[in-house]
Amino acid sequence: MTATSGKTTCPYCGVGCGVTVTLPDPQTGLVPPVSGDAEHPANFGRLCVKGSSLAQTLVSDDRLLTPMIHGKEASWDTATQQIADKITQVVKDHGPDAFAFYLSGQILTEDYYVANKLAKGFIGTANVDTNSRLCMASAVVGYKRAFGSDTVPCNYEDLESCDLLIMVGSNAAWTHPILYQRIAAEKKRRPTMKIVVIDPRETATCDIADLHLAITPGSDAAVYSFLLNYSAQANLVDGDYIAAHTEGFEQALAQAAVSTPTLKAAADFCGLEQQALMTLVDWWCDTPKTVSFYSQGINQSATGVDKCNAIINCHLATGRIGKVGAGPFSITGQPNAMGGREVGGLANQLAAHMDFATPGATELVQRFWQAPNMATQNGLKAVDLFQAMEAGNVKVVWIMSTNPMVSLPDTAQVRRALGLCELVIVSDCKAHTDTTAMADILLPATGWSEKDGTVTNSERRISRQRGLLPAPGEAKHDWWAICEVAKRMGFQSGFSYRSAHEVFVEHAALSAFENNGKRDFDIGHFSRMTAKEYDDLVPVQWPVPKGRPEGTKRMFEDGRFFTPNGRARFIAITPTLPQNQACLEWPFVLNTGRVRDQWHTMTRTGDAALLSNHTAQPYSEIHPKDAKRLGIEDKSLVRLTSPQGSVLLKAKISRAVAPGQLFAPIHWTQQFANASVVSTLIPQVVDPLSGQPESKHTRVQLQPMLEVSYGLIMSAEPMDLSDCVYWCRVPSKSGYHYEVAWSVSQSVNSLKSLKALTKESEQNEWLEYQNPLTGQCRLAKIVNHTFKLLVYCHPQPDSIAADWLVSKLAINERLTEQDRLAILVGMPANVEDKGEIVCSCYQIGSKQINKAIMAGVDTIDGLGAALKCGTNCGSCVPELTRFLPMATELTS
Amino acid sequence: MRLQRRQRQKQRKPLMPNSTDSIVKRRLVIVGAGMAGSKLAYDLQLAHGDQFEIVLIGEEPQVGYNRIMLSSLLAKDITAADMPLVDTKKMQRLGVQIVSNDPVKQIDTATKCLHLASGERIAYDQLVMATGSRASILPIAGADAENVMGFRTWQDVNVMTALPRTQSVCVIGGGLLGLEAAVGLIKRGHKVTVFHRSAWLLNRQLDEPAAALLQARLAQMGIEFRLGESPASFGQEQAGRVSHVVCQNGDHLPVDLVVMAAGITPETTVAEAAGLEVNRAIVVDAHMQTSQHDIYALGECCEFDQQTFGLVAPIWTQIKVLIKVLVKDMANFSITPTPTKLKVSGVDLFSVGRIHPQNDDACIVLHDVAGNHYRKLVINGGLLVGVILYGKVADGSWYFQLIENKTNVSDMLDLLVFGEAYCRPQVA
Repeated sequence: MTATSGKTTCPYCGVGCGVTVTLPDPQTGLVPPVSGDAEHPANFGRLCVKGSSLAQTLVSDDRLLTPMIHGKEASWDTATQQIADKITQVVKDHGPDAFAFYLSGQILTEDYYVANKLAKGFIGTANVDTNSRLCMASAVVGYKRAFGSDTVPCNYEDLESCDLLIMVGSNAAWTHPILYQRIAAEKKRRPTMKIVVIDPRETATCDIADLHLAITPGSDAAVYSFLLNYSAQANLVDGDYIAAHTEGFEQALAQAAVSTPTLKAAADFCGLEQQALMTLVDWWCDTPKTVSFYSQGINQSATGVDKCNAIINCHLATGRIGKVGAGPFSITGQPNAMGGREVGGLANQLAAHMDFATPGATELVQRFWQAPNMATQNGLKAVDLFQAMEAGNVKVVWIMSTNPMVSLPDTAQVRRALGLCELVIVSDCKAHTDTTAMADILLPATGWSEKDGTVTNSERRISRQRGLLPAPGEAKHDWWAICEVAKRMGFQSGFSYRSAHEVFVEHAALSAFENNGKRDFDIGHFSRMTAKEYDDLVPVQWPVPKGRPEGTKRMFEDGRFFTPNGRARFIAITPTLPQNQACLEWPFVLNTGRVRDQWHTMTRTGDAALLSNHTAQPYSEIHPKDAKRLGIEDKSLVRLTSPQGSVLLKAKISRAVAPGQLFAPIHWTQQFANASVVSTLIPQVVDPLSGQPESKHTRVQLQPMLEVSYGLIMSAEPMDLSDCVYWCRVPSKSGYHYEVAWSVSQSVNSLKSLKALTKESEQNEWLEYQNPLTGQCRLAKIVNHTFKLLVYCHPQPDSIAADWLVSKLAINERLTEQDRLAILVGMPANVEDKGEIVCSCYQIGSKQINKAIMAGVDTIDGLGAALKCGTNCGSCVPELTRFLPMATELTS
Repeated sequence: MRLQRRQRQKQRKPLMPNSTDSIVKRRLVIVGAGMAGSKLAYDLQLAHGDQFEIVLIGEEPQVGYNRIMLSSLLAKDITAADMPLVDTKKMQRLGVQIVSNDPVKQIDTATKCLHLASGERIAYDQLVMATGSRASILPIAGADAENVMGFRTWQDVNVMTALPRTQSVCVIGGGLLGLEAAVGLIKRGHKVTVFHRSAWLLNRQLDEPAAALLQARLAQMGIEFRLGESPASFGQEQAGRVSHVVCQNGDHLPVDLVVMAAGITPETTVAEAAGLEVNRAIVVDAHMQTSQHDIYALGECCEFDQQTFGLVAPIWTQIKVLIKVLVKDMANFSITPTPTKLKVSGVDLFSVGRIHPQNDDACIVLHDVAGNHYRKLVINGGLLVGVILYGKVADGSWYFQLIENKTNVSDMLDLLVFGEAYCRPQVA
């Protein structure tokens, strides 16, 4: 136990990068910054800015440390007994489907396995769904329809060995930065490699693209439908492959010919210039080594499954699958969405890549588990589950490691459902999330660096997340908590695991149980592994059947699929635009997504102040034409309203979105902003096959918020901001940093009477600054030479670099005379105004970059040499590119 | 007696213009050896000593000292050694003749000759009046007493310095001079009360919030204030000596000394008698010339364009102008706003231009009560027109330049009040 560092896996996106954690300094207890694991095949030592900042997230003042029952601390014994009793009661009174798990792509495979086993084998319900439903459920169904199994054919090396990479519905530059950087590095090394981005929005990913097709939102399937049709017309299809390994080609082609008969028809459907679409078609025809790389832009759609199959059809028709540098490659958003899929932790799966519909599967699993109460049919998928909850059919829900109040569509419905549910159990490592606020019982969970088990990344690679640090307080592993409840329900025999290792070995054994090559997911090699071997597990790609310890780099190399007849299926696809098209009443289409430096609902990334530098506030991208027409200024407050609700966001005027379209990131919860939960707007429209919500397409109204005044508040203490029309807490190293807006104009005197300040106004003198010529008014409070509180108000939306002010909020810092003045300015006189931070790693801002360019720097490498920007994690390189004089030519 | 002395002194041949070594030199006589006169003598001697035979005549025993420093001397912040404004020894070595402690009593413009109190007569080719001003003694009943004095000369400081400890002193006037006297006296351990007619101190240089900061600071030092109030009268229990101040509300305030600092009056007696045009002061044109050919005036005793001068900066300009005029290198004097600085230990204050805003002026204000710091900038049409700085005055000269140069400050309004360090990058 003398190791000073340990290897684990990053808890963020589906790339699954290896991370090396140095154990905390025994004196300070602080964990030094983490580094990338040079030996991990996903990242070879690199980390994005989110991953690089992991150590900063390990100190949280909001950890949930003990079980809580209705807001009161309780023992684990009491909490688990109450849960067990309640589940037992509702199952007895209302049947097993009155209980549900709502899990997460962040929990580990072992947690998933135990939850799935308890629900489907012992309670007797398949109501086990997860936030992965929101992420890649369509991809799963797409693969299963085509391959008979949920099998990702490709691996990351295919992204580097292909000659044409079509990135469709993915902003990998921000969402999967390390994969993007591997691609970008290869593109730089081998400029002949073509990259096409298909996305309604001009994202950062477009910076390495040879071609960007800004399609009409939701029209993706037509691109592939036309590729199929044209491939056949151009005699490009691989007849031998089709004949030997597939079925249904004729019907699929016939439909493609009807749906997208001509280039013009396809281009019109997609809102593209014919020439642009034809460029892609030409490249597709000329390039056997093509990978289609797709993500939430495809999946989060009412026709997401069809879009997946439209893509897969093209790869099957040309035999571009199961080969080096070719295949339809779905990239998952979460660190362990894949692990959940392997376990069967979705309501439309049974276990270990078996479905209820798989002949004999239920019986097989029942025998393996020795299960007393097997579920026999699919359970409720996420949206249906919360609707059933509102209808009173689901009476107990156990939510684990996820934040449905922010991530599921129609927040108001989710709130009603949780409000009506008789017992809401939430396992989380955080005390305060929008969802823990709805809980009856809170269970403190271990978090990343404490949790111990395995995760699977987007290329089927199983890696260890290791428990390197002790769990704080009474935090426990999720699998342990589930087992405690199971035992109290009388299921001791099935849930007496002593370690994650024991769970994993059983999971491996089930995958191999009576498999004999019938099921793709087989990790039988691990079914007898020792605890030591488990601890030492090196990252490996499944299948890892007995006798093949090296795992499997690529699937379907032999052209054999997991359908009953072994043939892959073509699916006839009719490209369909989203049902809720913009109209007079709802004139805008809202697309959603992520920002570069935040993850999901910010429960972890919100603890790292550095990560708020890139994007501090929730925003909506608006095309300049729309902004001008509606009188919306950049950075001003706007209201987006849908039939479901409304939110307040900061306008970001940008040509990245087309006129009539908006884009908003999904991250901000009510813990961080009062009125910016974007899921509030989104209707519960889902794909009928996958149940995945159409989160990327909502029709909305857009209005400027006129006559508001804007403010910045910094305080050593949290503030009551209920008289602000808008507030957003920006994570900061110390104290509290809020960006706010008031519905009235303010003066120094009116500011003093704000709720947050009335107490302060009674004691001590303010520092005041009022400038009627600019409308600025500012107040600061300094007590005993220490900076306590500051309020800036300005009539125009404005942003002030807050780093310096935050640094002055440190409790023990004695202010100098110059500081007193500088606090009213926002920066010391001798410090350069960096502009907006672009490179988070080295804190380099837009003004510094522009200055370097004015001084003659004209390359990314040059900027790196001059300012270091972009030389650490590289996430900002796409943005840096836009600063360069030639950027417009590159991305034209 | 005066006549006798004059006749006796009449014999001093070397001072007469027909002296052999002055054939090529004009005799320039300066009446008044205060700051303006002394500096003129010194600068002129250094620059054009070959053309002039300079005579500097002063009524005070001390010549060439820096009057501005009297309050510091009183406050014991400096010593007598720090007082000289010019090097009188050097000046004399170079040829300037200094007559001290001997006021000029009469000017005979017809014969171009001066009559001194000592009886001495001095002829001149050109004459410069630099008679300065005197403390105004307000016409308050009882003010004609031995213990009512101004605060003007080194002698005055000596009187105050000689006071026994812990006297009760009443200072009349809360302007610059009065406050400087008050601070000097409080530092010497006296009990000081300042009467000021206006509602706040330094009302010509400060607005009310800045004055409040100043007052708080001075009050902290122990000075007491009666604002908006002049004494009703000075009570004299013993004739010729004020024993108490009678306030408007009838209060009696016992005092040992009254210092009148309620303004200054230009000293024009001799000029007026000589027939020079005198309004509030000796009227000069842009060449500093009085109504008489060959007679000039500068400093506090002169009036240009209906203005008189109390601050040092324009007077230094006048000296430069006059030196040029005297050597026929024509120059014109004009009036520019002049900043005021208060030099009272522990108080930094700067004020220039139009500090009380008019209709279309806007004021940018920074106020840090606890930090003893206040700034007000008065802006009109993109130009800075007035500034008050209290507590931190380092930016004063920069603001002053912005006013003088009529720099358009529209682009830096958001940072202007925070000073040069913040705005410099924008100006560059």
